Amino acid sequence: MVYEFRLPDIGEGIAEGEVVKWLVKEGDNIKENQPLVEIMTDKVNVEIPSPKQGIIQKLMAKEGEVVKVGQALLSIEESGGQPSVSSSERTPVATKPSPLTSAKTPTIAQETQLTAAPQVSRKPDEVLATPATRKLARDLSVDLSVVQGTGRGGRIKDEDVQRFKQLGRAAAAVAVTTSGPRGVEERVPLRGVRRKVAEHMLKSKNMAAQVTNVDEVDMTEVVHLRERANATAEKRGVKLTYLPFVIKALIPALKQYPYLNSSLDDEREEIVLKKYYNIGIATDTESGLVVPVVKDAEHKSITQLATEIATLSEKAHAGQLALNEVQGSTFTITNVGGIGGVFATPIINYPEVAILGLYKITKRPVAKDNQITIRDMTYLSLSFDHRVLDGAMASRFVNAIKQYLEDPKLLLLETD
Amino acid sequence: MTQKIEAAVLGSGPGGYVAAIRLGQLGKETILIEKEKLGGVCLNIGCIPSKALIRVAKLKQRVEAAKQIGVEVTGVNVDFAKVQAWKQGVVDRLVSGIDYLLKGNNVKLVKGTGKFIGAHQLEVKSTDGTEIIEAKDIIIATGSRYFDLPTFRFNGTNIISSTEALSLQQVPKKLAIIGGGVTGLEMGTMYAQLGTKVTIIEMLDQLLPGIDIDLVRIVERSLRKLGIEYHVKSKAKEYRDGKVYATLEDGKEGAFDAEKVLVTVGRRPNSDEIGLEKVGVQTDSHGFIQVNKKMQTNLPGVYAIGDVVGPPMLAHKASKEGIVAAEVIAGMNSEADFHAIAGVIFTDPEIASVGLTESQAKERGYDPIVGKFPFTALGRALLAGETEGFTKIVADKNTDLVLGVHIVGAEASDLISEASLAIEMGATLEDIGFTVHPHPTLPESVMEAAEAAKGKAIHILQK
Repeated sequence: MVYEFRLPDIGEGIAEGEVVKWLVKEGDNIKENQPLVEIMTDKVNVEIPSPKQGIIQKLMAKEGEVVKVGQALLSIEESGGQPSVSSSERTPVATKPSPLTSAKTPTIAQETQLTAAPQVSRKPDEVLATPATRKLARDLSVDLSVVQGTGRGGRIKDEDVQRFKQLGRAAAAVAVTTSGPRGVEERVPLRGVRRKVAEHMLKSKNMAAQVTNVDEVDMTEVVHLRERANATAEKRGVKLTYLPFVIKALIPALKQYPYLNSSLDDEREEIVLKKYYNIGIATDTESGLVVPVVKDAEHKSITQLATEIATLSEKAHAGQLALNEVQGSTFTITNVGGIGGVFATPIINYPEVAILGLYKITKRPVAKDNQITIRDMTYLSLSFDHRVLDGAMASRFVNAIKQYLEDPKLLLLETD
Repeated sequence: MTQKIEAAVLGSGPGGYVAAIRLGQLGKETILIEKEKLGGVCLNIGCIPSKALIRVAKLKQRVEAAKQIGVEVTGVNVDFAKVQAWKQGVVDRLVSGIDYLLKGNNVKLVKGTGKFIGAHQLEVKSTDGTEIIEAKDIIIATGSRYFDLPTFRFNGTNIISSTEALSLQQVPKKLAIIGGGVTGLEMGTMYAQLGTKVTIIEMLDQLLPGIDIDLVRIVERSLRKLGIEYHVKSKAKEYRDGKVYATLEDGKEGAFDAEKVLVTVGRRPNSDEIGLEKVGVQTDSHGFIQVNKKMQTNLPGVYAIGDVVGPPMLAHKASKEGIVAAEVIAGMNSEADFHAIAGVIFTDPEIASVGLTESQAKERGYDPIVGKFPFTALGRALLAGETEGFTKIVADKNTDLVLGVHIVGAEASDLISEASLAIEMGATLEDIGFTVHPHPTLPESVMEAAEAAKGKAIHILQK
């Protein structure tokens, strides 16, 4: 009995995933629940276990290929048990959180319940292509249900199939060094996190009208506060960075300017104002940018925020974030202060409408009360979507944050 | 004796022989196994012989009707024995043609009853003895057979199947048909035109269950004109003393004189006597073999095609599936991914239908629009004296994509292929409507129906 295994519905509205790495090869004898393949979905890697035991007959996707939910991944020649045909099956598949399989690839344990997708992901006659084009697609191993047709009414033409094949969702699997016109070039396949970042950034740039506003902030009070607080916090085993203080200052500002904590529903032409505050923390990892999310930040104390950020950051570096830990942010902070630069113009974490940039705090001479004094100064940048809000509101919002950071005692006036 | 071969095909109907020819074309050493006659049901006791008799009956009816246009023929007489001989001649000629093609493609024909004894082994029994055929790849093309009812068991004399009904040497005076499906209506129409008094008893609430009722209405009218008595929602109970007794739609009891009783209540797959359980080929609860789009069963190297894998039970579906299976065996990347398979019914007028009906289109989430063009507005139909019927086209309102075409009328069976091509090509109403159709011809009705869907047919008023 040959069982055709299709990419199950991983949940959370995910429709496709990239085959990052096959963990089995054709001819392998596999057990039930043995991990088969590492699939990367929206910034999360998932190991998919086998629902059957048997021998791997054929791997139907290449590493690097993007597969749709319901698309065939591999066939297993089953051994033991009742013979069955996949078309009549809807086996629920549960994954266990699985450890990293390769030190280089960040694998993130998946805790969501997986459900096998039904055999047909799309009715065959909803693929608009002539018999000859359908044959071409079969010959080139292109799945028409994922090809964008450029013909009238979305009809898929031979050219679409050929272009899809060439641009290769399934490009060469390894980096190759070739001779370019001016010397040696290395070609690194765009894969995994890198590709997701590329897609995401381009989408953000294409969709939102982005403007960046920059201001400077006197952080002296926060610096002192943090020094004093750290003594107490360390007794509780928490090390405070500036980030929790910034989040504390950010929340009341977001509440005063709800348009900053929103998204634009293009389809319905509605602005969605979110009454919950999930703060994304842009995090640099070896494989690229990931954005873990601090949920319900408005209800958390400075030490709680600090602890949670530390945990998320560790997980991000180890590649162990769960899907729900990278989804659902309403506003994002990016902090490159530890690395360098004066300030930057970060790209919005679409579909959010703004991103706050934090930079290095340096001692600078400033004029204060007609005196030149040395203060702990930094810059704040706010990139925002000009479709949803205007420059004046953005400036007022930054002023609000600035006010709390320059005089943190004012935060006592705020409740969550 | 054991023969080793690359590929074996079990059953030589329109699925099996076509698969064998394609295997031969692709250079596979192939054996084709047939327990009865080459060509299977379709050629010997189905499509071909029935269409032969239907042609004769229609011809007689047309000759008699010709006096309306000034051609008077008196004393039309049908020599049924001679008709049967001619029919057999047509069948024999087609069978020998297949034989010639098989030989030309190096396919070896083995006569006998085949059965799986291993995943790659068939035992073939014949009067000459038993041999074992061992093949790397096997295609099951065993087709289907009609079944009878507990109260109406075939006896080969007066309770008969379509096989006997096609081989009668005399036209029966009174014929009762149990089952108002495709075969029942085709046979009933044919015999009524030859002079038989026909009664049709159908259990469901319409004749030709599953066919768009609009089309069926036209055929019903022609049945009545031919003097055929039909009853739906009726249950035949027994055949006694030359009468069929039945409970009719109004609850009353009926009794119908019948020299012969033709039972046409459906067909079942021939999957039960070929050793499938022994090798573990999976079938569903109706006995249909489960296959994927490549016609592969759950057993590697074992394929199944045609009626035995499920409805629609159509020769042309079997043939295409046979080609797919043969190509897959030869390592090609073929799939049975047809978008549309036309069904044709040789009543008088004929019915031909492909793709979705209006209600099916709604179920699939389309917003359908319909264009209809009557044969009364068609010069060629008028010339032929066959103005009964219409062409109906179903399209998606948003995209104008042609979803289905349904024709009842003269030569509907020959008109439908244009519609099949349109659907396979993803054509829109404009594609069909704009294409110049020669005048005066029946296919103009397809063009006009496409235009009618957009309210711009020329030869009918759409206000």
